[in-house]
Amino acid sequence: MPPSLRRGWLIATAAMLVLCLFALWQSSLLAMTDRLGPGPGFIPFWLAILGAGFALALLFDTFRTPASTGSDDDSLIPKGDGARRVASVLIALVLVTLTLELLGFQIALFLFSAGLVIALGERRWLVILLFAAGGSFGVYYLFTRWLDVLLPAGRLFG
Amino acid sequence: VDSLNHLLGGLASALSYGNLLYALAGCMLGTLIGLLPGLGPAAGTAILIPLTFSLDPTGAIIMLSAIYYGAMYGGTITSVLINVPGEAASVVTCIDGYQMARQGRAGSALAIAAIGSFVGGTFATIVLVVIAVPLATLAIKFGPAEFFALMVAGLCLVVGLAGRNMLAALLMTVIGLLLAMIGIDPVRGAPRFTFGFEELFDGIGFVPVVMGLFGVGELLLAAEARQARMIDADLKKWNPTPREWRLSSGAIARGSVFGFVLGLIPGVGSIVPTFMAYVVEKRLSKTPERFGNGAIEGVASAETANNAYANAAMVPLLALGIPSSPTIAVLMGAFIINGIQPGPFLFTEQPKLVWTVIASFFVGNALLLILNLPLVGLWAKLLKIPFAYMCAGVLIFCIIGAYGLKQSVFDVWIMLGFGVVGYALRKLDFPLAPAILALILGPMMEKSLRTTLEISGGSFAIFLDRPVALALLAVPVLVLGTLILRPRAFARLRESDAE
Repeated sequence: MPPSLRRGWLIATAAMLVLCLFALWQSSLLAMTDRLGPGPGFIPFWLAILGAGFALALLFDTFRTPASTGSDDDSLIPKGDGARRVASVLIALVLVTLTLELLGFQIALFLFSAGLVIALGERRWLVILLFAAGGSFGVYYLFTRWLDVLLPAGRLFG
Repeated sequence: VDSLNHLLGGLASALSYGNLLYALAGCMLGTLIGLLPGLGPAAGTAILIPLTFSLDPTGAIIMLSAIYYGAMYGGTITSVLINVPGEAASVVTCIDGYQMARQGRAGSALAIAAIGSFVGGTFATIVLVVIAVPLATLAIKFGPAEFFALMVAGLCLVVGLAGRNMLAALLMTVIGLLLAMIGIDPVRGAPRFTFGFEELFDGIGFVPVVMGLFGVGELLLAAEARQARMIDADLKKWNPTPREWRLSSGAIARGSVFGFVLGLIPGVGSIVPTFMAYVVEKRLSKTPERFGNGAIEGVASAETANNAYANAAMVPLLALGIPSSPTIAVLMGAFIINGIQPGPFLFTEQPKLVWTVIASFFVGNALLLILNLPLVGLWAKLLKIPFAYMCAGVLIFCIIGAYGLKQSVFDVWIMLGFGVVGYALRKLDFPLAPAILALILGPMMEKSLRTTLEISGGSFAIFLDRPVALALLAVPVLVLGTLILRPRAFARLRESDAE
């Protein structure tokens, strides 16, 4: 197992162990049994114990697995253009989620579509504008008028 | 005879103008989404759920089922033309399909894939018609103990077949089950793990989680990777030669059987039947050296097995209410969103719906064949859409899907969070399928177990008095026990998985 992959497995498994221990604590606050049988905390409690056990076993197994001695290109962490593209998608998603109800679907998605394709390297402005308009105003019209899906109109514009 | 009558009634309904249109739209959208490298059928089906919000339940399920097998075929086009499998099952198609494209035989490869998919899918649906009702009739006799045992058996098979990642699969199953515990307790009505968020009272949304793990997660991976170049293929000549027909016919017949049989087993995954069918063809061939260098039987066997598997996987879903793969779990989620509980009672409570859906599988398979042969050139052109537009377009659908179900931005955050988690876990090669199956089965498993324990006054000994439940629980115990207690068998599994 390459060192970066091994490190990744250890971190992910440790995070899941913490999650299971947190679930164990939370479920212990719920009733385990009542007069009819098992209470709301019964199954999550035992599941959390089982999960913590599996996580510990996996941590132990990963610790025991030696890291390969060959070159580790650390390919788990994105670099260069790949990292920039991943960051662009994530930032665009965070911004659109933050502004979705404030600006409304049409404006938020127009800015999202245009911003994301520009960030991903597109430079043909007319195509960008047409795509962003279709992806926001067009899609809003399609889903709200034709498919009866409620989408936010935006608090800023009533 | 009764099934045949129901099927004919279903066929009449499936061929109605509206349902035919939904199947057609589903096939086209599915093929389109399957074309997008990196987006598999699970993500594709989940992303397109919002399109069905306004449809009646029958129309919605017909369209989503058509999207599912359309996406399975769409993956073939990218495998042949750009050597990038649109979904896991198409990995095997890349081996010979891409070589055929390099030799100027892309048209033949895609045509045989479409014909094989049609034959495999139709064969699997015919057997589905024959066995679904007897299986459902048997399952109707099940009580909560048997259902709980059946779901445990299904989940354990998924885990047992995770190969070298079995421990990780077990952990992911538990994580999925814990996520399913979020929300109001289904028996007593007490809130659990909601932390004061009203949005969590109904539980964590299945659609945002799937869109995050599969849709956003896969897009982030695709954004990071470099894009592949398409072969400039001549797709006007798609009719296979008589020799190619001869070579493919046996492979199509055998692939149908492999795909169907393995599709019935939860957790097998689409790659196993495609790979097995391919290996068998290579072994049977008098010229095995052609495999890997553009053997049409390689494409025919893999694609036929793939579609037979896809249709066979509907048997445990419709007859038992057990999803056998993440994509089927997405379909099950769509059933539930539309107020339909898949399982044995579906055949008695909603026979018109279920038989219309089954009949639509025949219609959908035929539509895929009719669409894909002449339109393959058009699909190939769509592969030239720049990644920036494809990425933004898919994300728009993800946002609508996550928001549209409950009109909640909270669900969009859930999707985003699970997108990051899915991206990281996919890079680490953590198995995601067990978590998704556990998330959808979790509430039903809990309800069955707690009802069973209420009947028994809290005693687990009730399982000893129920032979079917005991037998069902014994299967996973034996499978997992063998793998844990016989390290050599486990090591062999690790090696075969690594290969």
